[in-house]
Amino acid sequence: MGQLTNDEFFIKLSELFAARKGKSHGAIYLVQKRFTYGLNTSPEKTSTLPAQPPQPLPILIRATNGKGGESKSEKIKLSTLVDPSELDVFYGRYAEICKTGMGLLKPRDRTKRKAKAKKKKAV
Amino acid sequence: MPYYAKSEDWLHHSSLLLDARPETTIVTTRYHIKPARRRTKAEKEAAKAADAPAPVAEAAPEKPPRGHLVLKTYDPVSGVTLKYKTSKAAEVGRLVQMLGGLGRRMAALPPAEEAVVTEGGAEAMTGVEASGSGTQTPVPAAAAAGAPGNAGGGGKGKKKKGKR
Repeated sequence: MGQLTNDEFFIKLSELFAARKGKSHGAIYLVQKRFTYGLNTSPEKTSTLPAQPPQPLPILIRATNGKGGESKSEKIKLSTLVDPSELDVFYGRYAEICKTGMGLLKPRDRTKRKAKAKKKKAV
Repeated sequence: MPYYAKSEDWLHHSSLLLDARPETTIVTTRYHIKPARRRTKAEKEAAKAADAPAPVAEAAPEKPPRGHLVLKTYDPVSGVTLKYKTSKAAEVGRLVQMLGGLGRRMAALPPAEEAVVTEGGAEAMTGVEASGSGTQTPVPAAAAAGAPGNAGGGGKGKKKKGKR
């Protein structure tokens, strides 16, 4: 599958998170790396400290639902390229989608703090 | 393959690794959901105490599954793996902000002021919201950094700051 535009990627990523909702197990993998395809750099050559590239490079973002093996037909793979100039905007939206999508994390526990505040007032 | 206790430590070491091997290092975020508890022991005890009324055991069973978040920085050439694990929803915004900082390094951009701001929890959170609404991040981030100091006296200040 080819790369999606950033907007398409966000829509599909939301769907990916939404599909996870209401299930009791499963995982979503998000990967980011420098996009070096076609730049003619092999990892073996970089034994010394690599030189700073002349211009900023795009980064590749991938997302999968981690299906493989027998259930490979259910695998969903998304990928997009983020232009260096759009990084800040991208991560702003990325954060929003992750926050809403990762709804099963522990919510912030406010009870302890409230109890502490009460104690402080009492003393 | 160390797990870091603090996300700041993870970020610091990941940045160093990324500086050393910017071309091969990848950052993986794994969000996975597991059933809330292991039933084995609790079930056994519940079965044992089946005759006796056990209000605590009855309150527990219908717990929703819990999500976990694992951040991993991996360089296949040197084989270095750095990890950080959390299950707190409150950290997500800050962690994605960190991913953004690492992303800047990957893109070979100079680290922005944001990356420095990430050190403080409260500032990072406001920074995320600011970058979501406007494109001009450095300005609101700087404004937010100044705000908590002023609001510290009032009861309405950024509460996150007190936690650190």
